[in-house]
Amino acid sequence: MRRFLWIPICFFALAVPVIVLAGGAQGGFDGVVSSIETRYHAHAARIPFLGLISLIARKSTHEGVGSIHVAQFDSFPADIDGSELNQIVEDKLGTGWERVIRETSHREGGEQTLIFMRPEGNRMGLFIVDKDRNELDVVQVSVDPRHLDENIDQYTHHHDSDRDESN
Amino acid sequence: MNYCIATLLLSATLAAPALAQNSPLLIPPQLEKDLAARASDVTEVTLNKNMLAFASQFMHGKDDDDAATRHLIEGLDSIYVRDYEFDKEGQFSPDQIEQLRHSFQTPEWSAIVHEHERRSGESSDILVKMVNGENRGIFILSVEPRDISIVLILGPIRLDQLASLHGIGGLHGLADIEHDTRPRDRDKEKEKNKDKDKVKNKDKKDGDQ
Repeated sequence: MRRFLWIPICFFALAVPVIVLAGGAQGGFDGVVSSIETRYHAHAARIPFLGLISLIARKSTHEGVGSIHVAQFDSFPADIDGSELNQIVEDKLGTGWERVIRETSHREGGEQTLIFMRPEGNRMGLFIVDKDRNELDVVQVSVDPRHLDENIDQYTHHHDSDRDESN
Repeated sequence: MNYCIATLLLSATLAAPALAQNSPLLIPPQLEKDLAARASDVTEVTLNKNMLAFASQFMHGKDDDDAATRHLIEGLDSIYVRDYEFDKEGQFSPDQIEQLRHSFQTPEWSAIVHEHERRSGESSDILVKMVNGENRGIFILSVEPRDISIVLILGPIRLDQLASLHGIGGLHGLADIEHDTRPRDRDKEKEKNKDKDKVKNKDKKDGDQ
Protein backbone atom coordinates (compact mmCIF):
# COMPACT_ATOMS: atom_id res chain seq x y z
CA MET A 1 0.00 0.00 0.00
CA ARG A 2 2.85 2.32 0.88
CA ARG A 3 4.42 1.70 -2.53
CA PHE A 4 1.23 2.92 -4.27
CA LEU A 5 1.23 6.08 -2.18
CA TRP A 6 4.58 7.05 -3.70
CA ILE A 7 3.18 7.08 -7.26
CA PRO A 8 0.92 10.21 -6.88
CA ILE A 9 3.62 11.93 -4.80
CA CYS A 10 6.21 11.38 -7.56
CA PHE A 11 3.69 12.45 -10.19
CA PHE A 12 3.03 15.76 -8.41
CA ALA A 13 6.74 16.29 -7.77
CA LEU A 14 7.41 15.99 -11.51
CA ALA A 15 4.27 17.79 -12.72
CA VAL A 16 4.63 20.95 -10.63
CA PRO A 17 7.92 22.18 -12.17
CA VAL A 18 6.63 21.36 -15.67
CA ILE A 19 3.45 23.40 -15.10
CA VAL A 20 5.43 26.29 -13.59
CA LEU A 21 7.90 26.31 -16.49
CA ALA A 22 5.16 26.07 -19.10
CA GLY A 23 3.15 28.81 -17.45
CA GLY A 24 4.78 31.96 -16.22
CA ALA A 25 8.47 31.18 -16.48
CA GLN A 26 8.81 31.81 -20.23
CA GLY A 27 11.84 34.04 -20.65
CA GLY A 28 13.81 35.74 -23.40
CA PHE A 29 12.21 37.75 -26.17
CA ASP A 30 8.83 35.96 -26.10
CA GLY A 31 8.72 36.14 -22.31
CA VAL A 32 9.30 39.90 -22.31
CA VAL A 33 6.72 40.50 -25.06
CA SER A 34 4.03 38.36 -23.42
CA SER A 35 4.68 40.00 -20.02
CA ILE A 36 4.29 43.46 -21.56
CA GLU A 37 1.11 42.31 -23.31
CA THR A 38 -0.34 41.00 -20.04
CA ARG A 39 0.67 43.96 -17.89
CA TYR A 40 -0.44 46.75 -20.25
CA HIS A 41 -3.35 44.91 -21.95
CA ALA A 42 -1.77 45.59 -25.33
CA HIS A 43 -1.28 43.34 -28.32
CA ALA A 44 2.05 43.05 -30.10
CA ALA A 45 2.17 42.83 -33.88
CA ARG A 46 4.83 40.43 -35.07
CA ILE A 47 6.33 40.72 -38.54
CA PRO A 48 5.57 37.67 -40.72
CA PHE A 49 8.47 35.67 -42.22
CA LEU A 50 10.90 37.29 -39.82
CA GLY A 51 12.93 34.09 -39.73
CA LEU A 52 13.48 34.36 -43.48
CA ILE A 53 14.23 38.09 -43.23
CA SER A 54 16.72 37.31 -40.46
CA LEU A 55 18.43 34.70 -42.66
CA ILE A 56 18.66 37.12 -45.59
CA ALA A 57 20.00 39.86 -43.29
CA ARG A 58 22.62 37.47 -41.96
CA LYS A 59 23.80 36.53 -45.47
CA SER A 60 23.68 40.04 -46.88
CA THR A 61 25.67 41.49 -43.97
CA HIS A 62 28.20 38.62 -44.12
CA GLU A 63 27.12 37.33 -40.68
CA GLY A 64 27.14 40.90 -39.35
CA VAL A 65 23.49 40.89 -38.22
CA GLY A 66 21.31 37.90 -37.43
CA SER A 67 18.68 36.36 -35.13
CA ILE A 68 16.34 39.29 -35.55
CA HIS A 69 13.20 39.39 -33.40
CA VAL A 70 10.80 42.31 -33.64
CA ALA A 71 7.51 43.03 -31.89
CA GLN A 72 5.58 46.27 -32.30
CA PHE A 73 2.89 47.59 -30.01
CA ASP A 74 0.56 50.23 -31.45
CA SER A 75 -1.88 52.10 -29.21
CA PHE A 76 0.32 51.51 -26.19
CA PRO A 77 -0.57 53.46 -23.02
CA ALA A 78 1.41 56.72 -23.18
CA ASP A 79 1.79 57.32 -19.47
CA ILE A 80 3.53 54.34 -17.91
CA ASP A 81 5.92 53.89 -15.02
CA GLY A 82 9.36 53.54 -16.61
CA SER A 83 10.79 51.75 -13.59
CA GLU A 84 8.07 49.11 -13.79
CA LEU A 85 8.71 48.53 -17.51
CA ASN A 86 12.43 48.24 -16.79
CA GLN A 87 11.72 45.72 -14.02
CA ILE A 88 9.48 43.61 -16.26
CA VAL A 89 12.17 43.45 -18.94
CA GLU A 90 14.97 42.69 -16.45
CA ASP A 91 12.94 39.94 -14.77
CA LYS A 92 11.95 38.20 -17.98
CA LEU A 93 15.07 38.62 -20.07
CA GLY A 94 17.06 35.97 -18.28
CA THR A 95 20.66 35.59 -17.26
CA GLY A 96 23.61 37.13 -19.06
CA TRP A 97 21.84 40.31 -20.11
CA GLU A 98 23.10 43.58 -18.67
CA ARG A 99 21.34 46.89 -19.06
CA VAL A 100 23.84 49.36 -20.47
CA ILE A 101 21.63 52.30 -21.36
CA ARG A 102 18.36 53.60 -20.00
CA GLU A 103 16.91 56.85 -21.29
CA THR A 104 13.72 58.39 -20.00
CA SER A 105 11.99 61.50 -21.19
CA HIS A 106 8.80 62.86 -19.71
CA ARG A 107 8.44 65.38 -22.52
CA GLU A 108 5.84 65.00 -25.27
CA GLY A 109 3.99 61.94 -24.08
CA GLY A 110 6.90 60.10 -22.53
CA GLU A 111 9.78 58.24 -24.11
CA GLN A 112 11.61 55.22 -22.77
CA THR A 113 14.65 53.48 -24.21
CA LEU A 114 16.25 50.42 -22.67
CA ILE A 115 19.30 48.78 -24.22
CA PHE A 116 20.60 45.47 -22.90
CA MET A 117 23.74 43.67 -24.02
CA ARG A 118 24.87 40.06 -23.75
CA PRO A 119 28.08 38.38 -24.90
CA GLU A 120 27.21 35.55 -27.31
CA GLY A 121 30.59 34.00 -28.03
CA ASN A 122 32.20 36.20 -30.68
CA ARG A 123 28.94 38.01 -31.20
CA MET A 124 27.04 40.60 -29.22
CA GLY A 125 23.38 40.21 -28.32
CA LEU A 126 21.38 43.42 -28.22
CA PHE A 127 17.91 43.76 -26.73
CA ILE A 128 16.21 47.09 -27.27
CA VAL A 129 12.92 48.35 -25.89
CA ASP A 130 11.90 51.71 -27.28
CA LYS A 131 8.71 53.53 -26.36
CA ASP A 132 7.73 56.72 -28.11
CA ARG A 133 4.32 58.14 -27.15
CA ASN A 134 1.78 55.42 -28.08
CA GLU A 135 4.20 53.08 -29.82
CA LEU A 136 6.50 50.54 -28.24
CA ASP A 137 9.02 48.44 -30.15
CA VAL A 138 10.90 45.43 -28.84
CA VAL A 139 13.89 44.30 -30.89
CA GLN A 140 16.41 41.56 -30.27
CA VAL A 141 19.35 41.15 -32.59
CA SER A 142 22.68 39.39 -32.62
CA VAL A 143 25.54 41.32 -34.20
CA ASP A 144 29.15 40.64 -35.02
CA PRO A 145 30.80 44.00 -34.38
CA ARG A 146 33.92 43.01 -36.39
CA HIS A 147 31.92 42.42 -39.57
CA LEU A 148 29.78 45.48 -38.99
CA ASP A 149 32.91 47.53 -38.44
CA GLU A 150 34.35 46.31 -41.75
CA ASN A 151 31.11 47.16 -43.55
CA ILE A 152 30.98 50.62 -41.98
CA ASP A 153 34.66 51.16 -42.87
CA GLN A 154 33.87 50.23 -46.47
CA TYR A 155 31.16 52.88 -46.66
CA THR A 156 33.32 55.44 -44.85
CA HIS A 157 36.14 54.96 -47.40
CA HIS A 158 33.60 55.20 -50.22
CA HIS A 159 32.23 58.42 -48.75
CA ASP A 160 35.77 59.81 -48.33
CA SER A 161 36.68 59.03 -51.95
CA ASP A 162 33.46 60.77 -53.12
CA ARG A 163 34.45 63.83 -51.14
CA ASP A 164 37.98 63.81 -52.59
CA GLU A 165 36.57 63.60 -56.10
CA SER A 166 34.24 66.55 -55.53
CA ASN A 167 37.21 68.62 -54.34
CA MET B 1 21.97 24.34 16.38
CA ASN B 2 25.30 26.14 16.73
CA TYR B 3 26.30 24.70 13.37
CA CYS B 4 23.16 26.22 11.76
CA ILE B 5 23.83 29.66 13.27
CA ALA B 6 27.45 29.52 12.11
CA THR B 7 26.31 28.59 8.58
CA LEU B 8 23.80 31.45 8.54
CA LEU B 9 26.41 33.93 9.76
CA LEU B 10 28.89 32.72 7.14
CA SER B 11 26.26 33.02 4.39
CA ALA B 12 25.39 36.54 5.53
CA THR B 13 29.08 37.50 5.57
CA LEU B 14 29.55 36.17 2.05
CA ALA B 15 26.35 37.78 0.79
CA ALA B 16 27.12 41.23 2.22
CA PRO B 17 29.72 42.23 -0.40
CA ALA B 18 27.45 40.90 -3.15
CA LEU B 19 24.58 43.03 -1.86
CA ALA B 20 26.86 46.04 -1.55
CA GLN B 21 27.82 45.58 -5.20
CA ASN B 22 24.19 46.17 -6.16
CA SER B 23 24.76 49.87 -5.65
CA PRO B 24 28.28 50.48 -6.93
CA LEU B 25 27.44 54.03 -7.96
CA LEU B 26 28.00 55.05 -4.31
CA ILE B 27 25.08 57.48 -4.57
CA PRO B 28 22.14 56.92 -2.20
CA PRO B 29 19.46 55.06 -4.23
CA GLN B 30 16.71 57.27 -2.81
CA LEU B 31 18.52 60.39 -4.02
CA GLU B 32 18.88 58.84 -7.47
CA LYS B 33 15.14 58.08 -7.49
CA ASP B 34 14.21 61.60 -6.34
CA LEU B 35 16.33 63.24 -9.03
CA ALA B 36 15.01 60.90 -11.72
CA ALA B 37 11.40 61.58 -10.66
CA ARG B 38 11.79 65.35 -11.03
CA ALA B 39 13.94 65.34 -14.16
CA SER B 40 12.35 65.68 -17.58
CA ASP B 41 15.12 63.67 -19.26
CA VAL B 42 17.26 61.01 -17.60
CA THR B 43 20.13 59.14 -19.21
CA GLU B 44 21.77 56.22 -17.44
CA VAL B 45 24.78 54.40 -18.85
CA THR B 46 26.13 51.44 -16.90
CA LEU B 47 29.09 49.44 -18.14
CA ASN B 48 30.49 46.86 -15.76
CA LYS B 49 33.79 45.02 -16.05
CA ASN B 50 32.33 42.15 -18.10
CA MET B 51 30.78 44.51 -20.63
CA LEU B 52 33.90 46.68 -20.86
CA ALA B 53 36.13 43.63 -21.41
CA PHE B 54 33.68 42.31 -23.98
CA ALA B 55 33.39 45.65 -25.80
CA SER B 56 37.17 46.09 -25.88
CA GLN B 57 37.46 42.85 -27.91
CA PHE B 58 35.89 44.64 -30.82
CA MET B 59 38.19 47.65 -30.74
CA HIS B 60 40.86 46.78 -33.22
CA GLY B 61 42.04 50.13 -34.53
CA LYS B 62 45.32 50.20 -36.32
CA ASP B 63 47.04 53.14 -34.66
CA ASP B 64 48.71 53.31 -31.25
CA ASP B 65 45.95 55.52 -29.78
CA ASP B 66 43.28 52.88 -30.46
CA ALA B 67 45.46 50.18 -28.91
CA ALA B 68 46.01 52.38 -25.85
CA THR B 69 42.25 53.04 -25.54
CA ARG B 70 41.56 49.31 -25.80
CA HIS B 71 44.12 48.59 -23.12
CA LEU B 72 42.63 51.32 -20.92
CA ILE B 73 39.05 50.01 -21.29
CA GLU B 74 40.15 46.43 -20.63
CA GLY B 75 41.60 47.50 -17.29
CA LEU B 76 38.58 49.47 -16.07
CA ASP B 77 36.15 48.05 -13.52
CA SER B 78 33.09 50.07 -14.46
CA ILE B 79 31.75 53.24 -16.02
CA TYR B 80 28.61 54.93 -14.77
CA VAL B 81 27.01 57.99 -16.31
CA ARG B 82 23.92 59.70 -15.00
CA ASP B 83 22.52 62.79 -16.67
CA TYR B 84 19.46 64.58 -15.34
CA GLU B 85 17.89 67.41 -17.33
CA PHE B 86 15.19 69.54 -15.77
CA ASP B 87 12.49 71.63 -17.42
CA LYS B 88 12.89 74.54 -15.05
CA GLU B 89 15.26 75.77 -12.38
CA GLY B 90 14.85 74.86 -8.72
CA GLN B 91 13.92 71.23 -9.33
CA PHE B 92 16.75 70.04 -7.10
CA SER B 93 18.09 71.48 -3.89
CA PRO B 94 21.67 72.43 -2.91
CA ASP B 95 21.27 69.86 -0.11
CA GLN B 96 20.83 67.10 -2.67
CA ILE B 97 24.02 68.19 -4.44
CA GLU B 98 25.79 68.25 -1.10
CA GLN B 99 24.50 64.73 -0.47
CA LEU B 100 26.04 63.64 -3.78
CA ARG B 101 29.38 65.14 -2.76
CA HIS B 102 29.09 63.63 0.70
CA SER B 103 28.96 60.12 -0.83
CA PHE B 104 32.56 60.60 -1.93
CA GLN B 105 33.90 62.12 1.26
CA THR B 106 36.00 59.12 2.18
CA PRO B 107 39.78 58.94 2.72
CA GLU B 108 40.21 57.22 -0.67
CA TRP B 109 38.64 60.07 -2.63
CA SER B 110 40.32 63.44 -2.88
CA ALA B 111 39.03 66.53 -4.63
CA ILE B 112 41.29 68.00 -7.26
CA VAL B 113 38.80 70.51 -8.67
CA HIS B 114 35.97 72.26 -6.88
CA GLU B 115 34.56 75.18 -8.77
CA HIS B 116 31.43 77.06 -7.81
CA GLU B 117 29.98 80.12 -9.54
CA ARG B 118 27.54 81.86 -7.25
CA ARG B 119 25.98 84.04 -9.94
CA SER B 120 25.08 81.24 -12.33
CA GLY B 121 24.73 78.50 -9.70
CA GLU B 122 27.02 76.26 -11.73
CA SER B 123 29.54 74.01 -10.08
CA SER B 124 32.08 71.39 -11.11
CA ASP B 125 33.77 68.80 -8.94
CA ILE B 126 36.45 66.36 -9.95
CA LEU B 127 37.59 63.77 -7.45
CA VAL B 128 40.15 61.02 -7.86
CA LYS B 129 40.35 57.76 -5.98
CA MET B 130 43.84 56.88 -4.80
CA VAL B 131 44.68 53.43 -3.46
CA ASN B 132 48.30 52.78 -2.43
CA GLY B 133 49.42 55.77 -4.46
CA GLU B 134 47.70 54.57 -7.63
CA ASN B 135 44.74 56.14 -9.44
CA ARG B 136 41.76 53.83 -9.05
CA GLY B 137 38.89 56.02 -10.16
CA ILE B 138 37.55 59.39 -11.20
CA PHE B 139 34.29 61.05 -10.18
CA ILE B 140 33.00 64.07 -12.06
CA LEU B 141 30.00 66.07 -10.94
CA SER B 142 28.81 68.94 -13.08
CA VAL B 143 25.84 70.96 -11.88
CA GLU B 144 23.97 73.62 -13.82
CA PRO B 145 20.63 75.19 -12.87
CA ARG B 146 18.78 72.75 -15.15
CA ASP B 147 21.25 69.91 -15.48
CA ILE B 148 23.18 67.46 -13.32
CA SER B 149 25.83 65.24 -14.89
CA ILE B 150 27.57 62.49 -12.97
CA VAL B 151 30.41 60.41 -14.38
CA LEU B 152 32.02 57.71 -12.26
CA ILE B 153 34.85 55.66 -13.70
CA LEU B 154 36.30 52.96 -11.47
CA GLY B 155 39.62 51.33 -12.23
CA PRO B 156 43.11 52.47 -13.11
CA ILE B 157 42.68 55.70 -15.06
CA ARG B 158 44.40 59.08 -15.08
CA LEU B 159 42.79 62.41 -15.87
CA ASP B 160 44.82 62.79 -19.06
CA GLN B 161 43.31 59.51 -20.33
CA LEU B 162 39.72 60.77 -20.06
CA ALA B 163 39.77 62.23 -23.57
CA SER B 164 40.21 58.76 -25.07
CA LEU B 165 36.83 57.70 -23.62
CA HIS B 166 34.86 60.41 -25.44
CA GLY B 167 33.55 57.89 -27.96
CA ILE B 168 31.74 55.82 -25.33
CA GLY B 169 28.01 56.57 -25.18
CA GLY B 170 27.04 59.01 -22.49
CA LEU B 171 30.55 60.27 -21.84
CA HIS B 172 29.98 63.44 -23.84
CA GLY B 173 29.83 64.96 -20.35
CA LEU B 174 33.61 64.87 -20.37
CA ALA B 175 33.57 66.97 -23.53
CA ASP B 176 31.13 69.36 -21.84
CA ILE B 177 33.61 69.91 -19.04
CA GLU B 178 36.25 70.72 -21.64
CA HIS B 179 33.82 73.11 -23.33
CA ASP B 180 33.14 74.70 -19.95
CA THR B 181 36.79 75.57 -19.56
CA ARG B 182 37.28 76.82 -23.13
CA PRO B 183 35.07 79.94 -22.94
CA ARG B 184 36.92 80.96 -19.80
CA ASP B 185 40.22 80.68 -21.68
CA ARG B 186 38.68 82.70 -24.45
CA ASP B 187 37.52 85.34 -21.95
CA LYS B 188 41.02 85.51 -20.52
CA GLU B 189 42.44 86.02 -24.02
CA LYS B 190 39.85 88.71 -24.71
CA GLU B 191 40.81 90.50 -21.50
CA LYS B 192 44.47 90.25 -22.45
CA ASN B 193 43.73 91.69 -25.90
CA LYS B 194 41.68 94.48 -24.31
CA ASP B 195 44.62 95.39 -22.09
CA LYS B 196 46.93 95.35 -25.10
CA ASP B 197 44.53 97.62 -27.03
CA LYS B 198 44.34 100.02 -24.08
CA VAL B 199 48.15 100.23 -23.95
CA LYS B 200 48.28 100.79 -27.73
CA ASN B 201 45.62 103.54 -27.57
CA LYS B 202 47.48 105.23 -24.73
CA ASP B 203 50.73 105.11 -26.72
CA LYS B 204 48.90 106.57 -29.74
CA LYS B 205 47.38 109.38 -27.67
CA ASP B 206 50.76 110.18 -26.11
CA GLY B 207 52.31 110.21 -29.61
CA ASP B 208 49.61 112.60 -30.93
CA GLN B 209 50.15 114.99 -28.05
